[in-house]
Amino acid sequence: MHAHVPPLFSALRRNRTGAFLVIAQIAITLAVLCNSASIVARAVARIDRPSGLDTRDTFVMIVEGLSKRFNIAQAEATDLAYLRALPGVAAATVTNGRPLTNDGTVTQLRRTAAPSGSNPVRTSMLPVDEQGLSALGVPLVAGRNFRANEIVAYSPAGPSQRPAEIIVTQSLAHALFPHGQALGRTVYEGRKVALTIIGITRDFMGPQFGQPAYNAALTPQVPGKYGFYELLVRARPGRRDALLRAAKRHIAAAHPDAAVAFTQTLEQAQRLFNASSRNIAIFLSAVTALMLAVCCLGLFGVTAFNVSSRTRQIGVRRAIGARRRDIVAQFVAESALILGAGVVLGSLLALALGQWLSNHYGEPRLTLAPVIGGTATLWIVGQLAAWQPARRAARVAPSVATRTV
Amino acid sequence: MLGYHLRLAMKSLRRTPGLTVLMVSAIGLGISACIVTLTVYHAMSGNPIWWKNDVLYAVTMDSRQGAEPGRPPKSGHAPQQLSYRDATYLYGSDIPRYKAIMVSLFGALRGAPGQVGPALVNVRATSGGFFHMFDVPFEYGGPWSAAADRDPEPVIVLSHRENEKLFGGADSVGRSIAFNNRPFRIIGVLDRWEPQPRFYDMTVNAFGKSDDAYIPFGWDAELHLWPNGHMSCWGSSNPNTYAQLTGSDCVWVLMWVELPNAASRVRFQAFMDAYWAAQRKMGRFQRPRDNRLWRVSQWLKRHHVVTNNSRLLLRLAFAFLAVCLINTVGIELTQFLRTAPFTGFRRALGASRGQIFQQHLVETALIALAGSALGLALGWAELHAVHALYAGSGDAYGELAHFDPLGLLWALGLAALATIVAGLYPAWRIGRISPALFLKSQ
Repeated sequence: MHAHVPPLFSALRRNRTGAFLVIAQIAITLAVLCNSASIVARAVARIDRPSGLDTRDTFVMIVEGLSKRFNIAQAEATDLAYLRALPGVAAATVTNGRPLTNDGTVTQLRRTAAPSGSNPVRTSMLPVDEQGLSALGVPLVAGRNFRANEIVAYSPAGPSQRPAEIIVTQSLAHALFPHGQALGRTVYEGRKVALTIIGITRDFMGPQFGQPAYNAALTPQVPGKYGFYELLVRARPGRRDALLRAAKRHIAAAHPDAAVAFTQTLEQAQRLFNASSRNIAIFLSAVTALMLAVCCLGLFGVTAFNVSSRTRQIGVRRAIGARRRDIVAQFVAESALILGAGVVLGSLLALALGQWLSNHYGEPRLTLAPVIGGTATLWIVGQLAAWQPARRAARVAPSVATRTV
Repeated sequence: MLGYHLRLAMKSLRRTPGLTVLMVSAIGLGISACIVTLTVYHAMSGNPIWWKNDVLYAVTMDSRQGAEPGRPPKSGHAPQQLSYRDATYLYGSDIPRYKAIMVSLFGALRGAPGQVGPALVNVRATSGGFFHMFDVPFEYGGPWSAAADRDPEPVIVLSHRENEKLFGGADSVGRSIAFNNRPFRIIGVLDRWEPQPRFYDMTVNAFGKSDDAYIPFGWDAELHLWPNGHMSCWGSSNPNTYAQLTGSDCVWVLMWVELPNAASRVRFQAFMDAYWAAQRKMGRFQRPRDNRLWRVSQWLKRHHVVTNNSRLLLRLAFAFLAVCLINTVGIELTQFLRTAPFTGFRRALGASRGQIFQQHLVETALIALAGSALGLALGWAELHAVHALYAGSGDAYGELAHFDPLGLLWALGLAALATIVAGLYPAWRIGRISPALFLKSQ
């Protein structure tokens, strides 16, 4: 190997600028490759988080009152009675928010009534009745479900009542009571509203408002004051779409003063919820792959140039005894030198870029794993790009040395 | 001379078709990536009413109850909406040239000829000033008068889209239509008007379609319709009925004013501050005074309209273009070096350095031109692909990925820059070559 070193450096000296340009390309590409790999990995991890819900069989239907005459409490009761009588319905409840969307209510809960006593924990809150848990398809891990007599009815005339119980997710329970048992404890919404935790569910994603994704809670309450309600229906497998049509027909016939403003399956909601993560992953992967390709073409070009501009030199080396292997090794080593310089520079640039991204965009710090992975990828792909012109060089016949003089 | 340069350049490029295609496609890819991200970025960061940026103001007051101890409110965190009572009070001021309070409602339109079933619509209950201050274009008719605002008259303005749907695009002014089972007279039909971002109301989404119809603000209270958009309540305000809602501290009304000059701005600010002080004496507005007038540009910034993702992608696209350009410079350089013996021959025959430089510049210009053309075509195709990919996914990219003339201009600027950057160095470098070196080796 030692013998190959002198021609190696002399070659680089001949097309110094060309080599430097390729090194710069490799460095930039590696920096982008490492950072976008880490961003894409996080986006994919976000998409892969389980929703904890039965997204396939569940849909939401928003019913909106169109006039003062619309009796919301009565309409809610009618719709639930209709839906629950249908054989395809596994469970149905009435609420005022949609999981996996930013439609709903967000609030702050504390361990103490006095604001100074504890840190507030942000959570989404869905009012549901005793079928709420089942309609979401979420199992309890501790405690119990709401009882029918605990559900606070909606009445437009009376003073606003408040429920006294709450069911929380495991994540929310842990956020509220990091060091102890949450079941049976009381949490406060503002100074006056005290809620007793009667049940803890497996984690699920409620309405999303930028709070931790699994911070969600249910209260035993029938909504109605906002002039609309949302029917949350979980169908038996395969019955969802037929049920959705039946529910629409029922509402059009039963409520002349209301209309179905919107319907959405949880599947659709989840797709939209993941859209921006999915899109950035696609975009970053595509551009990074193209960059890698362009970078390899650059390396290919420089190696090809080195080969073609030194045909005679290769011929001379072959004539004085160098084997084909040696010629291939020479050009592969040359490209390795360029790659090596680019990779070292690129790793430093990658770390700097990662630092800059974490300062300006709040991305987590770049870890070493994507840098190592990116370097290995670039190295392998780069060597493959240099392989072809190197093989061509090996095919140069020794007689070339004499022919062109 | 140029013709000669061109002929030589074509000849040289044709000699190595592989490398030529490589260079052209590298530039083209880089430019197309920039076109896509620039188009989206430009649409996102654009101020859709820039010509009135100095006179239009969104009005906010920090009406939240009770300060949280040890947590001073951060700047810019005051709610973007006003409570009903604050909004209606401030709306009473005569200082602004135009003023508008607004809330988004959901409802049904019925009774258009041949209509089957109700048309479900997003309706903006607002003031007549809305159309004047935002320069909203009308296709037929016009906005309602101030009198129609005071004692709400049953008048309605339809969007272009809704008029297409209900009346097939015909002049429907003067006709009657039922909004939530109440007859309204159509007083105007808008021309196409889809400002992106929808700067005047970004409470739910910054991008999206504009409203289907508009009615005087007073109808909201008349019809007891709860707002269909965003609403925030604090502490003890927990309204149960519409009447309780209008009396509460919950915020759900947006307000805009047009203040034509600095003097009126100062006066309106003083008017707000005086109201704030009087209300504070009565026990409201317990937080530090934060009465603000936001220019449209500040308003857009406050709502973080340009997402971090799109900034990131824009930078990535430029890094990509840089790699493509470096690649092109490198390949050009190797190609020029390959033809160096020929260049040396020309120099020996009397071609000046300047002429050699020019000749190579023409060659790179040809490549850059072809690359830009390819970039434009690719960019156009990619925008369509992005649009198809993202359409309906709720991401702003789908909404915004349309090829706009300004994006084109940007792209052409980029292409020109690419030409200069990619072409100068190799052309200069090759001109410096000493002819004797190459003549020797022949």
